[in-house]
Amino acid sequence: MLDPYGPAAEAVAWTWWAMFGFSAVVLVGVVALWLIGMRRSPAAIPEEKAAIYNRRWIVWGGIVLPCVSIVLLLSFGIPQGKRMLPLPVEGEQPLKVEVIGHQWWWEVRYPESGVVTANQMNLPAGRPLDIHVTSADVIHSFWIPRLGGKIDMIPGRTNVIRLEADRPATHRGQCSEFCGMQHTHMILYSEVQTAEDFADWIRARQQWQAPEPDATTRDLFQRECAACHQVSSLKGSPVQTTDETLLIGPDLGDVASRSHLGAGVLRNEAGAIRRWLSEHQRLKPENRMPSLDHLEDRELDVLADWLETLTP
Amino acid sequence: MTDITANPQSDQAEQDRLHQDLDEIWGNPRGWRALSIVNHTTIGVRFLVTGLFFFVIGLLLAMLIRTQLAIPGNTFLGPDEYNQVFTMHGTVMMFLFAVPILEGLAIYLLPKMLGARDMLFPRLSALGYWSYLFGGLILLSSLLLDVAPNAGWFMYTPLSDRVYSPGLNSDFWLIGITFVEISAISAGVEIVVSILRARAPGMGLHQMPVFAWYMLVVAMMILIGFPPMILASLMLEISRAADLPFFDVARGGDPILWQHLFWLFGHPEVYIIFLPAAGIVSTILPVFCGRPLVGYRWVVLGVLTTGFISFGLWVHHMFTIGIPQLAQLFFSAASMLVAVPTGIQVFSWIATLWLGKPRFELPMLWLVGFIVIFVAGGLTGVMLSLVPFDWQVHDTYFVVAHFHYVLVGGMFFPLMAGIYYWLPHFSGRMPSMTLGRWGFWLTFIGFNLTFLIMHWTGLMGMPRRVYTYESGLGWDLPNLISSIGGFIMAFGVATFLLDLFLHFRFGEKAGENPWKADTLEWATQLPPTAYNFVSLPDVTTRHPLWDQPHLPKAIANGEYGLSVSGHGRRETWGVDPVTGRIRHIIHLPGNSMWPFVLSALLAVVCICLLVSAYTLAGLGTMAALVVCLRWSWENGAHPKAAPDAHTKPDEPPLHSRTFDGPGLWGMGTTLISNGSLYLSLLFGWFYLWSVSPNWQIPAQNPLNHGFMLAALLPALATTVWLRRVVRQLKQKNISRLGLHLWSITVLGLLHTLLLVMLIFEAPLKPTETTHDAVLLVMLGYSLLHAVVGVLAAGLQALRVHWGYVGISAPYEPKIVLQWWVYTTTVFVITYTATVLFPLTWKPY
Repeated sequence: MLDPYGPAAEAVAWTWWAMFGFSAVVLVGVVALWLIGMRRSPAAIPEEKAAIYNRRWIVWGGIVLPCVSIVLLLSFGIPQGKRMLPLPVEGEQPLKVEVIGHQWWWEVRYPESGVVTANQMNLPAGRPLDIHVTSADVIHSFWIPRLGGKIDMIPGRTNVIRLEADRPATHRGQCSEFCGMQHTHMILYSEVQTAEDFADWIRARQQWQAPEPDATTRDLFQRECAACHQVSSLKGSPVQTTDETLLIGPDLGDVASRSHLGAGVLRNEAGAIRRWLSEHQRLKPENRMPSLDHLEDRELDVLADWLETLTP
Repeated sequence: MTDITANPQSDQAEQDRLHQDLDEIWGNPRGWRALSIVNHTTIGVRFLVTGLFFFVIGLLLAMLIRTQLAIPGNTFLGPDEYNQVFTMHGTVMMFLFAVPILEGLAIYLLPKMLGARDMLFPRLSALGYWSYLFGGLILLSSLLLDVAPNAGWFMYTPLSDRVYSPGLNSDFWLIGITFVEISAISAGVEIVVSILRARAPGMGLHQMPVFAWYMLVVAMMILIGFPPMILASLMLEISRAADLPFFDVARGGDPILWQHLFWLFGHPEVYIIFLPAAGIVSTILPVFCGRPLVGYRWVVLGVLTTGFISFGLWVHHMFTIGIPQLAQLFFSAASMLVAVPTGIQVFSWIATLWLGKPRFELPMLWLVGFIVIFVAGGLTGVMLSLVPFDWQVHDTYFVVAHFHYVLVGGMFFPLMAGIYYWLPHFSGRMPSMTLGRWGFWLTFIGFNLTFLIMHWTGLMGMPRRVYTYESGLGWDLPNLISSIGGFIMAFGVATFLLDLFLHFRFGEKAGENPWKADTLEWATQLPPTAYNFVSLPDVTTRHPLWDQPHLPKAIANGEYGLSVSGHGRRETWGVDPVTGRIRHIIHLPGNSMWPFVLSALLAVVCICLLVSAYTLAGLGTMAALVVCLRWSWENGAHPKAAPDAHTKPDEPPLHSRTFDGPGLWGMGTTLISNGSLYLSLLFGWFYLWSVSPNWQIPAQNPLNHGFMLAALLPALATTVWLRRVVRQLKQKNISRLGLHLWSITVLGLLHTLLLVMLIFEAPLKPTETTHDAVLLVMLGYSLLHAVVGVLAAGLQALRVHWGYVGISAPYEPKIVLQWWVYTTTVFVITYTATVLFPLTWKPY
């Protein structure tokens, strides 16, 4: 959060340092007054004088000081809050991204281009972003600290937050509303790219046709995976769930191209998919994907080999 | 006061005789009969000891958390264990430590400070204590059974509902906490009434010790603030047990409703915890400065304002749910505004220090710790109320650090100061600096090491409630430091407990008024007797012991009022709430097993509900009801309530012979609290209509217009008739009182039966739409009140026959009248809100 990569986050970081400085002064001041008070032992003060003295303390310290601080703070804060609202902009229109929280993974959709992915969010630098968030089950919260504030993902509601990223970089985001057993492992990596790279990224996914699996693999996938997972890049293939709104597990369309598996649990290096298939309940205990222990190693190899090819 | 005859000076033998007489009436039994004790001193100490016990449990849970998070990727606890541990840590600290221990301190201190002999509803104190103990134990047992609540201490739906938390975990929370809240509400009722009605003669509101002002405000906040959460817990438990969809979007509910109700309670709760502690500061500080608190009126005003504003802040816990900007601005500004009354208090303490000649004793050390930590926490609080900043750090370790600064700084440190300050009261001995100083410094250093760095951890992006984290995010070192600090703090607390233990064995004996304090609790013996004071003095100043240093002796000599005890009554003065003028003698009930029995039965009911043994739960409830009735039998002219009803001609009357007893005030305050519950329900109804994203309404209003009116009529008739009876009773002009009351009971019964028919006739589908579920709850609420009203009226009729109620003991029917006025009003409002109001825009 203190290493901002976008205007919203940067403004908040500055606000923090300003508030921190001001608060430190107030804290030191109050404590100093207290300690000095404890060490003094003044001559007896006549009651009348004491009353005036009292009022001065309470009015200046107790009323004026907080009021001035509040006015200062609000005059700082209100313009900042506005920046994160999805207000109309001139020039280039914001990119709309839909993010849907699931226990415990992120579904990411780009409605303008029809691209769907999961646990990975690619974004163009220098263009305002409207992130539309909701949830498929319990309440989650969307947050990429380096880009800006968070917004809750609530079933039945869609919230929008306006963000913008300055320059290309990879950012780690994490669910920040407690959402159950694996709240910890609900991590979203967002890859900010230049506008051209982002356009390429989108185009690659739009145009790409995944390689058709052989019959054994397809049967295996149908039997073991397709109840929850779809492969959107396999256009017109029977390996599809028909109703996209009932997506239970992440879309696997470009799974091999993602930087991590299991919503941030496992870096997607060589052999990682195979490892996930056999160990996912140990890597991410109690996650919603049933254990595949009943499959033979050979079957897992076949599945993993095909899934490895799913990268545009 | 002229109407009280002061007793002549008496010698030691006379003092002993007075003590023996009073002790015979007030003294505590031993052995298993100790379960029947209702005396506020004993109950207060029990609360304090139990609170410390739960605090140690909460601390141990915190140590588990810190152990798990000390290093990245730790496997000391698994995710499920960790979720149980952090949920229980928060729950135990908030509900089983912070609130009850402060209530206990107040129950212990208030009558002594106010110059009374006991709280006004001693049996209610006992019921509160047992409910707290049993509820707490039920909750703790879930940890041993490995099914502890694991959805976070604020239990957000839908995570905590039957779909996403199918186990018993959430049920333990909902049932256990609701049971514990009986103690909060009963403490709230009796603190309000006792402060207003049982003070030293002549003590006007403006002369009360400032602690009483704090507690008066806190108790009112409890009464209004807790019901929204009790309602929410009941609704969630019903939805878990019977599938009524209050929080389910698909069927027209809204999970955000839970958040509103929870934080409607949750924010005042913070001040319910902080204000008593601030009251401790305002009490202790002037004593050690040797001069009155600067700006008493300002402070009282500040406390009242804090109480008021605290009900307008709840949304600042929900800034990230996507609410309109204007509403956010309002709640943001209101949140900052709290800094003003708090600032007033802080600066009045500083001014007191500057004007006085401070003595440096152990309690003052803890107060220094308090001011450093609390002000730091307050400042981060102001930061958090700035919405864009909150969006960044909400639900991160920054917030965790903030509220630990506020709660530990604002509650635990003053509590420690208070415990050391009042130790001579509990033990008759003086605390010593030797170990006490170690305890303080270890706690202070450990605390800051743990939580100061935690602000940074949060700013680095670490969300709260994660059971582990990967290395390389920059979170490793700050977490390790926090863990080390946590253990140092635990050592500090252990040192304090050791000090406490040694103190009771080896502490130096305390003399009379050892701190040279100004308030009346130091005029008792150390440790105090069950009746506090041999005689009850008039008090017309804020600082009785400074203005009349001889007071303790004179009290012990029986020079003031109510020192006679041949009548066998437990007596204290009943005074005018504002001026403190004597109105009557209040005679208090003696020791009783009923509170313990009732609480034990309720515990059985709770356990039955947990294991879904509904028949048994029903039987238990019936038994509990019978005990309630039996308990209330011993009131009025019953020989157990007042063994000897004769008063001397120059004495004011007994309260049970007037129309102004504390029972009326008790019922009034209870109904305020009850009203808060009903208003929360009404809020839910209108909230769902206007905000719920998927609100569904049936084609036709399931409630029949005419049927509702028909049910309303007998309720109105009951109330009007009862009112007439009470008026005639007041004029001592009534014949056949019993017959009147029986007829009223029958009318009430008619209302009840019509309600039952209404509920069964209405085509409600409560499991299908939230609309119908809420309607069912509203009707059920009215039905419950009607049943209680009928039982109460019938009981009165019986009591008339037994001679416990009548022209000479007339005030109980008026209490029943209060209930019926409330019941009828609620039904009229329900009728308006559910039948009339929708007619204005014809949604059906």
